[in-house]
Amino acid sequence: MRSPSSLKQEFLKKWILGLQVCNSLKNMNVFERKKAIKLSADVAMASSRNGKTCWSRALIANASRNDNGKEFVEKILGSDYERQNKNSTMSRRTRCRKILKRSCTTIRKAMKRSTPSRPKVLAFSVAKKMIKKRTQLLKSVVPGGEFMDEVSLIEETLDYIISLRAQIDVMKSFANATEIENRKKDQQW
Amino acid sequence: MNRGVVPAAEMLHCTDLTVLERQRARMKWQQEQFHVVQQQQQESYFSELSGVFSVPSQVSHVQSFEGGLLGGGGDLVLGPVKPDPALENGWPDLGKVVVPGYGFGPCGPAFDANYAISRTTSCPPAVAAEAKVKESSIVNHKMSAAVGRESFKKRKADKVHNTKVGAEDEAKDKRMKGCAEEGDSKITEQNNNNNKSNSNNNRETSGDTSKENSKVSEVQKPDYIHVRARRGQATDSHSLAERVRREKISERMKYLQDLVPGCNKITGKAGMLDEIINYVQSLQRQVEFLSMKLAAVNPRLDFNIDNFFAKEVFPACPPNFPPIGMSSDMNNPAYLQFNPVQQQVVSCSGLEMGINPSDMGLRRTISAPPETFLDSSCFTLQPSSIWDADLQNFYNLAFDQGRSTITTTPFPSQPFTGSIEASNLKMEM
Repeated sequence: MRSPSSLKQEFLKKWILGLQVCNSLKNMNVFERKKAIKLSADVAMASSRNGKTCWSRALIANASRNDNGKEFVEKILGSDYERQNKNSTMSRRTRCRKILKRSCTTIRKAMKRSTPSRPKVLAFSVAKKMIKKRTQLLKSVVPGGEFMDEVSLIEETLDYIISLRAQIDVMKSFANATEIENRKKDQQW
Repeated sequence: MNRGVVPAAEMLHCTDLTVLERQRARMKWQQEQFHVVQQQQQESYFSELSGVFSVPSQVSHVQSFEGGLLGGGGDLVLGPVKPDPALENGWPDLGKVVVPGYGFGPCGPAFDANYAISRTTSCPPAVAAEAKVKESSIVNHKMSAAVGRESFKKRKADKVHNTKVGAEDEAKDKRMKGCAEEGDSKITEQNNNNNKSNSNNNRETSGDTSKENSKVSEVQKPDYIHVRARRGQATDSHSLAERVRREKISERMKYLQDLVPGCNKITGKAGMLDEIINYVQSLQRQVEFLSMKLAAVNPRLDFNIDNFFAKEVFPACPPNFPPIGMSSDMNNPAYLQFNPVQQQVVSCSGLEMGINPSDMGLRRTISAPPETFLDSSCFTLQPSSIWDADLQNFYNLAFDQGRSTITTTPFPSQPFTGSIEASNLKMEM
């Protein structure tokens, strides 16, 4: 684990690249711009982890699904992207397709099986259910969490929270900087 | 009958002596044993042991003597007559004589109590059987002496043996079984046996757990996890792995608890997960909000600052920055060389490094190389208590000046931000 300041530096470097892409995109309304900014920030944050964590890989994979995000990913990751992409696709070819499908079906089956058979309403089972529900929710919150087991999910959540904090810090200071500049410009006029 | 009884009573008396002697001899040995035991056992266990060690053997002697009596008066058909007054007297006699003879100084009262208890419960079947088996007290004496020797040997062996594990234990156990038939020192032996079996059990369990540990460590190569099965816990590999997994999860959860604010007070996994989810979602929302803010703050600026930052990050840009925009209220000539953004950066670095804000030249040197800018830039911007008062002052000042920008900014609710600090700096200068 690196120190948070170095994480922030890395993130800022990558994010600036992403923002350059944002610059190149013209004719956007506020929401589109916001989306672009957020996407760039997310991709930058993910790429600052160098693909070591599941959530970052999932985030990049999700981002590169649409064209806009692909641009960011290519720009931010640069040469890393091709390498990572190759690696990931290779590994995906070999293992993901079949095993993932199978596991998904088994999960679905298990869910189907569990839902009609009404378990006794015991405190124990209720607690278990609650935990299960929340785990599912957490999986949906953390990018790529659907494919993690519980231990790695919690680890990834830890890492993700730290990264998010760094991201927020950088973004905050960045926003403040822009705000100041705006204000000064206003004063100038 | 009376004749039969009287020699029997005589025999009782004489054998009583022998018994006493024997008992004394035995007690010597037992004391030795005690010293050995004393080193091993705790104080609390000591008194209990003393009762167990000494009393039942004595009782068994009495029993054996009874047997001898029976054997001596073999023609006596009246079994029930056997507990005659002489014998009845013999019991307390034994009790009286023997007890002081034992010389267990520290545990006298405890011994008495134990004696009483063991008298009430002094008919273990093994002892009765022994009473049947042994005809004469002499034989008994021999036997007991043999047993004593043997058990003493055993003691020694045990003492030597304490650190060893393995086949020797089994052999000893076998020997123990052989001795157990003697019954003379059976109860003490049992006690020993219990101790030993306990230790054996411990050893076994420890061996077991060590095996399991090795298994587990095989399963998880990178980090060695020490797993101990507590009493009543399952020890097969599945439940062990499950336990390891749960421990791992709880450990991670602890870290998360430390990381997520306000999660310390919550107990229970569900509540913790709730809190974590809330926190992650709030962080995500914050990111969203900040990106929205960024998008709203510069609607048509096209990220001038971004360009600026980018230039600065990558060494294409010279360390001296050309002034882009100048504020209208700049009186300080040194200030002219800094554009607003840089000034903010400078102020932040100055804040972080604890440099006097009015020291412009020093700050310039700090802000000049891009690397230092990166290192000590505004990312670790944190409101310190020293700045709070200044910030407050500035806030009032800014409002006094009637700036429209503050009122029109969409996010005025962040008092401790770099913007105000930077402006504060400006005010100072």
